[in-house]
Amino acid sequence: MRWARRVGSRWLLVALACAGCSSVRPWEREALARADMAWDPDPLDKALHQHIQFSKEASLDGGGAGGGGCGCN
Amino acid sequence: MIRLERQSRAAARRARLRRRQERRLARARRPSAVLHALTSSALALPGLSLRASAESAPTEVRTDYRFSRYAEDKLPGGKVAVGGERGRYDIDIHQFRFETGLSDRIGVAIELAHEAMSGATPWYVTPGPNGGDPVQVMTQATIEERRTDALLSSSYYLERGKASLGAGVSVENDYLAVNGSLGGERQFNEKNTTLSGGVGASVDRITPSDTNQYPTRPKEEDKQSYDVFVGLGQVVGRNTNLQSSLKYQHATGFLSDPYKLAFVAGNPETDERPSQRNQFSWLTRYRHHVSTLDGTLHFDYKLYLDDWNMNSHTFELGWYQTLWDRIRLVPSLRYYSQSQADFYAPFYTAPRSDGLRSSDYRLSPFGAYSWRIEAATRFQTWSFVWDASVAWERYVSDADLAIQSVGVENPGLVSFNLFTVGLTARF
Repeated sequence: MRWARRVGSRWLLVALACAGCSSVRPWEREALARADMAWDPDPLDKALHQHIQFSKEASLDGGGAGGGGCGCN
Repeated sequence: MIRLERQSRAAARRARLRRRQERRLARARRPSAVLHALTSSALALPGLSLRASAESAPTEVRTDYRFSRYAEDKLPGGKVAVGGERGRYDIDIHQFRFETGLSDRIGVAIELAHEAMSGATPWYVTPGPNGGDPVQVMTQATIEERRTDALLSSSYYLERGKASLGAGVSVENDYLAVNGSLGGERQFNEKNTTLSGGVGASVDRITPSDTNQYPTRPKEEDKQSYDVFVGLGQVVGRNTNLQSSLKYQHATGFLSDPYKLAFVAGNPETDERPSQRNQFSWLTRYRHHVSTLDGTLHFDYKLYLDDWNMNSHTFELGWYQTLWDRIRLVPSLRYYSQSQADFYAPFYTAPRSDGLRSSDYRLSPFGAYSWRIEAATRFQTWSFVWDASVAWERYVSDADLAIQSVGVENPGLVSFNLFTVGLTARF
């Protein structure tokens, strides 16, 4: 699992760098609150693409945990 | 003289108090002004959730319906065994979602999907005639299958975070999967930093069909998978958001494909994969809004590694363009490249010493690109706000698209079209 430790340590570096980024005040968040700034603006579209990619490619999805089912043909 | 001096000091003190009081009132007014700005800017956007952030339970009911037609390309004649089936899968997909708030702290969502699948699917690969490229043997009969998937999730919202629970089931005539998840997020640094994490598990039972006709297929097998993820989101400017997350999954049990064979020393043999798999993904997502263009850039990159010696890179780029406050256009591109599993081969001239074998194109080395265009519009009738959308996606995979050079392409690589229409109602 050497590769997992390597990726984990790089992720930690990125996380620490981000935590020091500039702070945006609550009344400066108009653009950030836009719906098209969401990580996944359309939950059904996300679910469909995750299922297709799971069925046709070998990789694990990113982000949250859970989900299942085959549809593996 | 002294009285005059006292009067002017008292006037100055009163003025100072008045100014302090005005500043206090301005501060008190500011949150509602901010809230108004957030709400009005979100309301102006068509087609998407009114809530971009997950800081409170849904304040409205939202229902979504999508119908998608997924159609795989026919395989080229030169890639299929002589006289074999060339047509592949077509799938009609209906999706439905309902979301509402039960209180100002609790939100629930139900997601349902039903798929009707028909067509032929890759079975095994044989050496090509006269030493040419390998060719695909497809399943002999047209397969008709249905899959129904249901997912129930609930979130409890706190001042600076939320906790979520999810449970789901997926049912096919030969496959049953039950899954659950538990997650949470916590905001820090004036809500500029969000730490999230969660765990999930899925327990699957496979009961392959036609075992009388194909006696080497197992009658019943199980597999389990467990996953854990951790993510960090950071606001890096008034218009920019960044998130990075790590996910690990451990799968154990029957991880082979009971419907696929591998051609070993001239004989088709059952697909045999390791009984364990450890998978790891690192996803980084970037969002940037360009006010002058009224558009938002989405960029995602994912690195994937596993202990079957596979790795992959995925790049996704999207642009969300809002026009006249009620039309949205979303062109997007995706590139994907994967290496092969260490026990994969298109066919085997001799059995491997560890007994593993698979010629599944999904474990082969390949690259793929896809492009997609979505158009959506918003309109209002009575107290309902509707969003209607239409999207078309084209996906092409090929060994030549892989980042690394590929010696022999698997003939079963898939290309497809995906057409989707959708309707969302909020009230």
